[in-house]
Amino acid sequence: MVFTTPRIPVVALLLTLVTASGCSSMVSRATSDMSDNLSSAVLDQNDPETVRQGAPAFLLMIDGFISGDPDNQALLLSGSRLYGAYASAFVDDAARQKRLAGKSYDYGRQAVCLSHKDFCAVIDKPLAAFNEHVTDFRADDVGVLFDFAAGWTTWIQANTDDWSATIQLPKVAALMTRVIELDETYSHGNAHLYMGVLSTQLPPEYGGKPEVGRQHFERANELSNGHNLMVNTLFAKYYARLVFDKELHDRLLNEVLASDIEAPGLTLSNALAQQDAQLLLEESNDFF
Amino acid sequence: MTFSDWIRRFTAPGSALIAALLLLAQPSLAGATTLKIATLAPDGTSWMRLMRQGAEDIKEKTEGRVKIKFYPGGVMGNTATVMKKMRIGQLQGGAFTGASLSQVYPDAQLYGMPMVFRTLGEARYVRERMDDTLIKGLADNGLVVLGISDGGFAYIMCEKPLRRMEDLKGQKVWMPEGDVLTETMFDSAGVKGIPLPVADVYTGLQTGLLDTIAGVPTGIVAFQWYTSVTHLTDVPLMFLTGWLVIDDKVFKRIKADDQKVVHEVMGQIFRTLDDVNRKDNESARKALQSQGIEFVVPDTAERANWEQIAIDGRETMISRAQYSPELVNEMLGYIEEYREQHGSGDSE
Repeated sequence: MVFTTPRIPVVALLLTLVTASGCSSMVSRATSDMSDNLSSAVLDQNDPETVRQGAPAFLLMIDGFISGDPDNQALLLSGSRLYGAYASAFVDDAARQKRLAGKSYDYGRQAVCLSHKDFCAVIDKPLAAFNEHVTDFRADDVGVLFDFAAGWTTWIQANTDDWSATIQLPKVAALMTRVIELDETYSHGNAHLYMGVLSTQLPPEYGGKPEVGRQHFERANELSNGHNLMVNTLFAKYYARLVFDKELHDRLLNEVLASDIEAPGLTLSNALAQQDAQLLLEESNDFF
Repeated sequence: MTFSDWIRRFTAPGSALIAALLLLAQPSLAGATTLKIATLAPDGTSWMRLMRQGAEDIKEKTEGRVKIKFYPGGVMGNTATVMKKMRIGQLQGGAFTGASLSQVYPDAQLYGMPMVFRTLGEARYVRERMDDTLIKGLADNGLVVLGISDGGFAYIMCEKPLRRMEDLKGQKVWMPEGDVLTETMFDSAGVKGIPLPVADVYTGLQTGLLDTIAGVPTGIVAFQWYTSVTHLTDVPLMFLTGWLVIDDKVFKRIKADDQKVVHEVMGQIFRTLDDVNRKDNESARKALQSQGIEFVVPDTAERANWEQIAIDGRETMISRAQYSPELVNEMLGYIEEYREQHGSGDSE
């Protein structure tokens, strides 16, 4: 057990953006329309660099909306998603990533606390107490549940040098498992994608169960009809590398590179998935 | 038993094939040497990040004559399998715990003797004075040591507060499979351990087969063992170490100047690792506390009781673990020396 300092999920997903539309019913009509339209424009953008450069202005705008309407759950969730997505996909500097991911987590937590007070009270409690309130979430709550869990995962990923962050992973897994129980199709089946990554962090020698992860990746593929290219990129990065299967690794990544990135709500994420796939493939001969 | 003898047990059949493979695997004197090294550390850990950084530096400083390729996460199999693969030339090295290397050279797990160190300061003091002796011991058994790193102290965790070794009686206590040190210590205390591989501990805790485990804080967090226990007894049980070793037959074929580069770069990496591991274990202890794990601190008398059991069993320990008595005495002497200079270490 000497070599055990797992730096858990380098999740770096753009998943959070994928659900960034359609949750703004509480917002004033004009704000809602603008927020939704902007979200769609971001999600359907096929040039990541444009988003990288343009997103900060959007983030500032969301901050402004929230400060004017701090109890608006839909706005808070939009803020959480966008800060999380931007931090994980476009920010390399560790200190900035922590700061921005922290904002994603804070907005998500404020949002969940507006509607789930009992759960809110146990977020920082030991796992057993926390788990007792995971079932507070019902089918109607899937949106807030998924967004909060996704933002939390991004925050943990940005804080892998702090074991007090890493130790919170089982809580995130419990929330994503609850999303799957309530509606596994939500957000193109992305809860399965998160669980795929979370389940492929430990080798079998340490009690890891990579095959459980593989099932989640495969289910995420089924639920998105293969349109979400991030699934196979992460399937290769986490599962194939963990079990040391070069053939699978290269095949999955080549499939990603050969796929069309245009898909409603997934175009930006797919473009990023292709960028990552290219890098992973270039490292393949060194890794295996 | 030397490394070669030990390995031969696994490879006696088909030795002609092995010889053939060995010939095929000979690195060319003129060309580049690739050292293939297996480790149980998962990719993405501090350990692997630093190892890969070391490999990059070595490749650059030897102008590509020495390359290191890592096989992380146990993909090359367990310790016995990795050693077998080293014998047939499929691998040239591996990262092992002191305990697993003790099968080649028993004193490799000298620092793991239970209940000898009270603080990291004591362990570091001894390491500064004895690492070279142990490195020489492994060299005599055909293995070149590129580095030794602190793995941290293992602590006991349970569903109830354990203050005395006797409290372990009646508990369902995990014992790492094949771990002579833990088994001997438990025998001394009259505790019957349940031997299981690390891979099965989490499930063992979940199903109630086990209710008491021991591990370093980072491992306890990473493997999520803490999710089934509530108390940590804050007495360092044993000090773990990680070793990076290369088959000396391969290493000797590398040019002397390049060997020096490999040692220098990896030496620096291992000094960094000691610091990283210390910080990680401190951070993991805080993390456990943040999740409500209660740290049980036995008083001086209770602690003396833990240590007395270890002292009473020391002769048996030396015999069963096949330690060199003179090295054990040398280690204990340094610890005394340290305590005279720095106090008994209870408060560190």
